[in-house]
Amino acid sequence: MSIEIRGIHKSFGEDHILRGFSLAVQEGETLSIIGPSGVGKSVTLKTIIGLITPDSGEVWVDGKSVHALLLPELFEFRRKVGYVFQFAALFDSMSVGENVAMGLRRIEGITEGEIQKRVSYCLNIVDLGGTEERLPSELSGGMRKRAGLARAIATRPKYLLYDEPTTGLDPVTTTTIDGLINRMSEELGVTAIVVTHNMASAYEISDRIAMLHEGSIRFVGTPDDIRATDDPVVKGFVEGRPELSREVSL
Amino acid sequence: MLAGVSTVGKGGHLAVRAVGTLKQVDIWGPRLVPLLASIGVASIPIALFILTFTGMVLAIQASYTFTGTVPKYFVGALVGKTVILELGPVLTALALAGRVGASIASELGTMRVTEQIDALEALAYDPVAYLVVPRVLAGMFMFPVITVFSLVVGVAAGWITSLAMLDITTPEFVKGLKLFFDTYDVQFALIKAWSFGLVVTGVGCFYGFQASGGAEGVGHATTRAVVVGSMIILVLDAFWAAVLL
Repeated sequence: MSIEIRGIHKSFGEDHILRGFSLAVQEGETLSIIGPSGVGKSVTLKTIIGLITPDSGEVWVDGKSVHALLLPELFEFRRKVGYVFQFAALFDSMSVGENVAMGLRRIEGITEGEIQKRVSYCLNIVDLGGTEERLPSELSGGMRKRAGLARAIATRPKYLLYDEPTTGLDPVTTTTIDGLINRMSEELGVTAIVVTHNMASAYEISDRIAMLHEGSIRFVGTPDDIRATDDPVVKGFVEGRPELSREVSL
Repeated sequence: MLAGVSTVGKGGHLAVRAVGTLKQVDIWGPRLVPLLASIGVASIPIALFILTFTGMVLAIQASYTFTGTVPKYFVGALVGKTVILELGPVLTALALAGRVGASIASELGTMRVTEQIDALEALAYDPVAYLVVPRVLAGMFMFPVITVFSLVVGVAAGWITSLAMLDITTPEFVKGLKLFFDTYDVQFALIKAWSFGLVVTGVGCFYGFQASGGAEGVGHATTRAVVVGSMIILVLDAFWAAVLL
């Protein structure tokens, strides 16, 4: 088992967001998490990487409990993880090139020349070649998102966590990003968790899809399984037909 | 009351973490020099502006108070003693609580609400080592430097004012200045400035890290950093006076 989430609970004030949520991700697998906004998808990703501490429950990665790690061990673990933030979270006082180089500068023994080569390579992959010197404020929203992706993949991580990587992107760029996620998985054997609302993307990139509903997992299965499900809540979300899940509530 | 205790606890936790990350020189070291410039060098003009007018006003008010009762050269004594012991370090720190403390809180607060601090952590950087330690060290180093400039300019402004407006000669002013001067006063001023640098930058970092809720949250964090920083400066000022004088 590569990543295992065991019964996590997380509340923010009165809001009980995650309610005993469990999920396992196999090595080399791409798993998409879908679900309505505010259901705790991003909280889940941040909990996996240790940015949020659960009220109870555990996250195990490579046989270690993330929240039991000492700070140096936690940073060592994070070097193996790439995280694509929902709104890119680029460092706005640095150039795009410096942003992509940030993770690489934490690798011992890497030369400045190698860093610059790797930066150019990663920016080219996301169609941002030549933007090294530009500031994030000079990029469009979609370009910023792609720069965030370049930063996440620069260190060739073992795990990639994508928080809505294609939201707000045009269809062509969405296809490019989907292709890139598939490529990372096929060529480098990356284990990926993708939080998305975009069902076309989810079908395209996922080995399995999990639906998060009311703080726990409502459904896990392959894209074919989810297409065939009779669960009205899952069907209602996937097909964009809220009336189905409303009938269940009534 | 509970919120106050919680804030002190969180502040103490941040301070302990900052001390613990001092050994990560590879992270904070390269960031220190640019911050020495932005926190220190760029703050010198405002500090000098304030102390110029403070020195002038002190000389005029001393002359007004002493006329007919105390010899004129006591103007030099009062300007020197007051600028060095109190107004130089404290007014400089209060001005920098506005400039430096607010700047740090708003910068880190913006980084917090736009997930840039989360991104730092995700990239295996300790944000305390990367953001807090170099700022606090820059403040602890540069506040005394700025204060030295302030003291010199404050006394010089009082001297020039005495010459130009108060009919006091240079020998008279210098005689008064020397009368009560003690090098310990300068040490006292520098110790205070060092502690004010620690407080202004530390409080700015703390409230920046605590920011939440978008632009409004950053605004609140900035305001709190300035208000709390200024209050602690005044409390520390009294503390040092009681302990060291």
